[in-house]
Amino acid sequence: MIPNYQLLSPTFGELVWDQLPTDELLGFQLAYLTYIQSNFSDALTEARQGFTRISLVWKNPNNQQEFLAQVKNLQLPPMELSHAIWQVPVCYEPDYGQDLNSLAESKNLSLKELIQLHTEPNYRIHFFGFLPGFFYLNGLPPMLHAPRKSVPLLSVPPGSVAIGGAQTGIYPMQSPGGWHIIGRCPLTFFDSKQPSPVWAKPGEQIKFVPISAAQFQNWNELYPKLLRK
Amino acid sequence: MSQHLGKAVVLRCPAGTSFQDEGRHGGAKYGIPSSGAMDQRSFRWANHLLKNFNTAVALEMAQPGLRIQFDQICHISLVGAKVMASLNQTPITNPSLIAIAGGDLLEVGKFLSGSRLYLCIQGGFQVERYLGSGSDFESITSPSIRSYPKVLSYIPIPQPSSLGAKPKWETSWFESPEIEAYHGADWALLSSAQQKLIHSSIFHVSKFSNRMGIQLEELVPNPLEDLPTNPVFPGTVQLTSGGKIIVLMRDAGVTGGYPRILHLTEDGQSKLAQKRVGDPIRFQLLETITG
Repeated sequence: MIPNYQLLSPTFGELVWDQLPTDELLGFQLAYLTYIQSNFSDALTEARQGFTRISLVWKNPNNQQEFLAQVKNLQLPPMELSHAIWQVPVCYEPDYGQDLNSLAESKNLSLKELIQLHTEPNYRIHFFGFLPGFFYLNGLPPMLHAPRKSVPLLSVPPGSVAIGGAQTGIYPMQSPGGWHIIGRCPLTFFDSKQPSPVWAKPGEQIKFVPISAAQFQNWNELYPKLLRK
Repeated sequence: MSQHLGKAVVLRCPAGTSFQDEGRHGGAKYGIPSSGAMDQRSFRWANHLLKNFNTAVALEMAQPGLRIQFDQICHISLVGAKVMASLNQTPITNPSLIAIAGGDLLEVGKFLSGSRLYLCIQGGFQVERYLGSGSDFESITSPSIRSYPKVLSYIPIPQPSSLGAKPKWETSWFESPEIEAYHGADWALLSSAQQKLIHSSIFHVSKFSNRMGIQLEELVPNPLEDLPTNPVFPGTVQLTSGGKIIVLMRDAGVTGGYPRILHLTEDGQSKLAQKRVGDPIRFQLLETITG
C-alpha cells in the first residue's frame, strides 16, 4: 500500500492509491496524513483526503520537491482504526423518506427488508466532503446500491438519510440533492459554534438505529451516543 | 477601539453580494469549502492600493445596484470589473482609489466589462471570522450582508491624507479567451480524442454559473464512469457523466466524484471569474515539470 505521488502543478500534487476504498487503505491514508502533518505542516497550505487520494497544496515548489524526495523512500505502517461506533437514530417512514417506497419497489424489497439491510452494517467514516459535516461512509450492502437520480431535488431537508450509487450519507443541512431519500435523522451534523464543528472523526464508525415518527418528533439530543468506545 | 469604528450603511444591496477575503484554510477536514474572492488578482490589487493585508475583508459584487453611505473619513478602492460609479451622484472617472469624507454616498451602476467587483476599504471591513477568514459561507457565517439596511464597520483614518498618484486599473488581462490550466489528476483517463477536443476547442460560459462553479456550454462526450470520491479545489475542472464541463470555484465542496480533467492556475481562476455568460474561453495547457 505504498502510494505514488502525482505532481499536478509546481505547488500541488496527490498521493495516489490504486485500490478500491477499504478499511486497510484508510489506515494507510491516516498514517500518511499524520506523518505529513507532523513533518511538513510548515511547508503545507492544505491537505485534503478522499477515498483513494490525499491531495497536498504546498507553499512553494521547493516544499513539494523536498516532500517528493522523502516520500519515495517512505514505508509507513497503517494506522489502527478507531473502535468507536456512533449510534445514529433514523426515522425510516415515508413522510421522512420520500423515496423509501420507490427504492424498495425497484429493489423488490419490503420496507422492513430495506430498513434491515440499511441498519445492519457498521459504516466506516472515511472523510467529510460535498457539504460541511457530510460523512463519506463505506459499507453500504451491494443490494442497496442505486444510481443517482437523473434530476436532483432542489431542496433536501437537513438530516435526510440517502443512498446514491454505492454510498449512503446524511445531508447535514438543507441542500439540493440527487440521492434517494430513505429517512431522516434528528441529530445535528455541523455546528460552526462548536470547537470541533463535527462530532465524529475519520476512522470511526456509525450504526443507523431505526426510530418511530413519534420518537423523531420528541428527540431532544443534538449528538449521538457511543455504542462502543 | 470599537467605539471609534466607522459605519457604512448599505442602503441597497444587489443579490450575490458577499464579504470575501483570500479564503479559509484548515476547514477541509470538516468538509468546509475554501470560499474567498472569486477573482483573487483584483482583490489583491485592491488591497495593495490601500496597503492592506490580504486578510482584509472586501465586499464582492456580481451585479450593479450597491448604495452605501460612509459616516467617517476613509479610503476605499473599487477594482475588478469596470463599472459606472458615482460619489454623491457625481460620476467618478477612475474609481480604483477614492478618498471618502463623512456622509459620502457611493453608488455602483452598470458593469461595463467583467463580472466581479471588489469594494475594499483601508483596514478591511470588520467582520466575524471563522478559521481566520471573514469570507461568507452559508452555515458558517450568519447571512450578513443579505439583510439590509445593514451597518458595516470599518476603521476610519484620523484625518484626510493625500492619495498621491491615481493608479489606473486595467481590465485587458481578463479580456482574452485563454485560461491557463494544468492537466488534472484524472486527465490520463481521457481518450486522445477527448484530450484533443479539450485542447483545441473554444468553449462558452453557460448561464449556470455561481460561486460554486462555472459550467461551460459545449459538451465533451464522456464514456467514463464516476470515480471514487476524491479531493477537489477551486480551479478543479470536472467532466460530468453527461459530458458537461464544470469549473469548480471558491464555494465548491472539498470532494467530488467526477473525473478531474484540468486544474486552473490561480490567475486562470481570476480571469474566468470575470467572464460573462456567453464569453468564449480556450484552455491553455501548461506542462508540469516532473520530479
